[in-house]
Amino acid sequence: MSVEAIRAHSAEPSASAIRFEGVSKRFGDATAVSELSLDIQAGEFFSLLGPSGCGKTTTLRMVAGFEQPTAGRILLEGEPVETVPPYKRNVNTVFQSYALFEHLDVERNVAFGLQRRKVAKDEIQRRVAEALELVQLRERGKARPRELSGGQKQRVALARALVNRPAVLLLDEPLGALDLKLRKQMQVELKGIQREVGITFLYVTHDQEEALAMSDRIAVMEGGEVKQCGSPEDIYEHPSGPFVAGFIGVSNLLAGVAENGGVRLSSGVLCSAQVPADCSQGAEVHLSVRPEKIWIDDLEPGMASVDGTIVERVYVGTTTQVIVELAPGERLVALEQNTARARADDRWEIGNRVRVGWHPEHSLVLR
Amino acid sequence: MSTVAERPAAIAPERASARPPKDFDRPRFLRVFAWIFYLFMFAPIALVVLFSFNSSRSLQNFEGFSFTWYDRFFSSESLRSSLIASIEIAAVTMVVATTLGTMLAYGLVRARTRWSGAANVMMLIPLVTPEIVAGVSALLLFTQIGLHLSLTTIILGHITFSISYVTVVVRGRLASLGPEVENAALDLGATRLQTFRLVTLPELWPAVLAAGLLVFALSFDDFVLSFFTTGESPQPLPVRIWSAIRFGVTPTINAIGSFMLAISLLAIGLALFLPRLLGRRESGLGVLLGREGA
Amino acid sequence: MGSRLDPGEGGVSEQRFASGFLFPGAVWLLLFFLVPLGILLAISFGTTDDLGNSLYGWHPENYRDAFDPLFAPVLLRSVGYALATVVLCLAIGYPIAYYIARFGGRRKNVLIALVVLPFFVNYLVRTYAWVAILGDEGIFNGAMNTDIRFLNTPYAVIGGLVYGYLAFMILPIYAALDRMDPSLIEAGKDLYGSRWHTFRHVTFPHTFQGVLAGAVLVFLPAVGDFVSAQLLGGPDEYMVGNLIQQQFFAAENWPFGAALTTLMMLFLLIFMVMYLRSAAKASREAMA
Repeated sequence: MSVEAIRAHSAEPSASAIRFEGVSKRFGDATAVSELSLDIQAGEFFSLLGPSGCGKTTTLRMVAGFEQPTAGRILLEGEPVETVPPYKRNVNTVFQSYALFEHLDVERNVAFGLQRRKVAKDEIQRRVAEALELVQLRERGKARPRELSGGQKQRVALARALVNRPAVLLLDEPLGALDLKLRKQMQVELKGIQREVGITFLYVTHDQEEALAMSDRIAVMEGGEVKQCGSPEDIYEHPSGPFVAGFIGVSNLLAGVAENGGVRLSSGVLCSAQVPADCSQGAEVHLSVRPEKIWIDDLEPGMASVDGTIVERVYVGTTTQVIVELAPGERLVALEQNTARARADDRWEIGNRVRVGWHPEHSLVLR
Repeated sequence: MSTVAERPAAIAPERASARPPKDFDRPRFLRVFAWIFYLFMFAPIALVVLFSFNSSRSLQNFEGFSFTWYDRFFSSESLRSSLIASIEIAAVTMVVATTLGTMLAYGLVRARTRWSGAANVMMLIPLVTPEIVAGVSALLLFTQIGLHLSLTTIILGHITFSISYVTVVVRGRLASLGPEVENAALDLGATRLQTFRLVTLPELWPAVLAAGLLVFALSFDDFVLSFFTTGESPQPLPVRIWSAIRFGVTPTINAIGSFMLAISLLAIGLALFLPRLLGRRESGLGVLLGREGA
Repeated sequence: MGSRLDPGEGGVSEQRFASGFLFPGAVWLLLFFLVPLGILLAISFGTTDDLGNSLYGWHPENYRDAFDPLFAPVLLRSVGYALATVVLCLAIGYPIAYYIARFGGRRKNVLIALVVLPFFVNYLVRTYAWVAILGDEGIFNGAMNTDIRFLNTPYAVIGGLVYGYLAFMILPIYAALDRMDPSLIEAGKDLYGSRWHTFRHVTFPHTFQGVLAGAVLVFLPAVGDFVSAQLLGGPDEYMVGNLIQQQFFAAENWPFGAALTTLMMLFLLIFMVMYLRSAAKASREAMA
């Protein structure tokens, strides 16, 4: 399985790899997925991101064939797959629990899919070797799964799936069981592999940092629905609603009322902001500002600003979180990088009165 | 914060004077109790085995070492045929009950039909049914359908009451295996049948083996059910022992009992150690007691 | 369902494949276990002809006869002996299970195996060995030069029952204790101070399922046992199992025997349901 061979095998870059048309899934009375419509392009690294129970794993399982949609249809490479069982679909899955075959060694695990397709023995050997090379496990071919570490098992699972040259690779929270450092490392590796082989990846995770780091596009899901779909920058900088704003990254949500040209906070201060056209005067809104976009004192002209008192500061190494109370019960978290300072307490004293501000275009009016 | 720091200081002096805080309760009393327990449990066993080698008929005095009673056992044609009958019954029961029980376990764990609940209950009832009820109902069945009592009827009865043991053991193992591995096989292109054959069974076989050999031992030793369903001849060994006890005891019983113990031990020993011998990490004991990787 | 008429492959066919596996075993149990129980019930209302053959009919007096002064004490005695057996098995079995689980250490498996080992000697042979030991001219009386009558007493029969079923009490309790996290007991000692309170509030509740399972696994077979009573007791100690056995092999009154059996089953049904409910709950929790 050379990289060139996989690339050549992959579909046209602009073709649709997976298409969901109004897909719903109900388990008895409970709705897991509701009217899902998405179009995932060939060669994309596409993530389904959301909290537990949002329907992302169910969606993945429907693509794999382990669940059938209750309504709507799914098309793989343009062909509907309702009547196609999992073992006939051109997709492969990397499971969260790795699901390696304990009674087979690594090579036989990886070869499993090829053997089912009756590929010739020498070709199997070649492709297995290449797959293990790709995940850097060449020398552990004869090992048993129980002898491997978590990260190694993950790579075997990946190799076992990739060796079959599927049109789409499905990954179900594959890095969830790894420790932080290993996870970060694997994220980079996975992204690299995907770029190299050019296969469409459908990646499920609840870790928004992971999704942001790896994906070409993200679909944020909640309660069975897609709340927003777009590139990582789109999702982060322009969340479409309070859920996405709250789920992706950290965001301050200040309650207020829409006015001409801004939002009037409950404390009375008017913050200039881009009010959406369909938002009427006097409508109750939330003003969303990311902590890292907030400046403390030293403001620039044109910024929206509010006065407040520092009530807490939290030093986390690279940054300091400064919590400012604008009014009783209304707090704001600002994130300052500790670039020039080695200590936090020499700059932000608890009890100090400060003026916090941000560029209006960095804030969002949400309903 | 301060209370946690204070507590160890308060407790330390008290602990220093007590026994080392290795464990709790009164291990000494329990140890004595346990010794007495094991003594009582094994006294009759030791008796049986010891007196099976007694050179005299006496059941009170051991007068010398001899194989007389074993000789009587193996040279008696009718006893030999009973031994063979017992082994036959146990072997057939083992094969059929293990097959049916394993399939039942797989169906109960993987299928979510509305019949699953009823099937589950039906499977559990034989485990708590007193053997006499089993014997009586089996006897009634066979006589009512006109089936002559013979080894076959014994086998049919044994299978019926062994299936549940197999299902319970295999089911535990299957549940801990989880459906993901099977899904992985499907995902990679194996049909459901291939998945069962290539992935499920290989992972399952220590449990199946343990269950099968357990069934063998239970069937080999069984008395009540066999008593009600046996024909005239040959009769399995336990039934012969009963007749012997009721109508004239000889020390040959001790030889038969000891020999049966050896066979049962062999079966159980295989169940426990064969998996380990053949490269699996877990032992049969762990599987039987419901532990993983014991 | 949805827009499809044909379920096709996928999640549904897993059901069909796996439920196919249910059939052989389920059908077997239906034919060879449930149907005979039905026949048992039917015959229990029957009667016998002059030759001793059973006939179907409607003779509910079989059940009334079971409570005849001749037989009623036997029924009561069976329940009484079985209860005594459960209590004794618990009193002996729990400490043993506790000892092995908590203090067995590396030899845990061996110790449990040694508990189970005696049970692989045939029940008849084991019980008969006690006759040899406790008989009027048995080993005990011979060695101690005494003349104590052990056999043909209720104590002997109960003793035989306890000896016969002790493992069924020990194993479930041991399994429950073994599964328990030892730090729970440490925490309990911290909290409650005394050993007894720790046991009562921490250990015992956690092992309750095991105790329940053990109690049921001992009580149910003990009620129907006839071997101990036959070998270690006399007619004054006969249990319902002996009675039933007599009906089938001596008195040739199968319908009455069937009625006795059905009565016993119905009585035990209550406990069976209790056990099945808690076992089903436990297995649901395990597989959830």
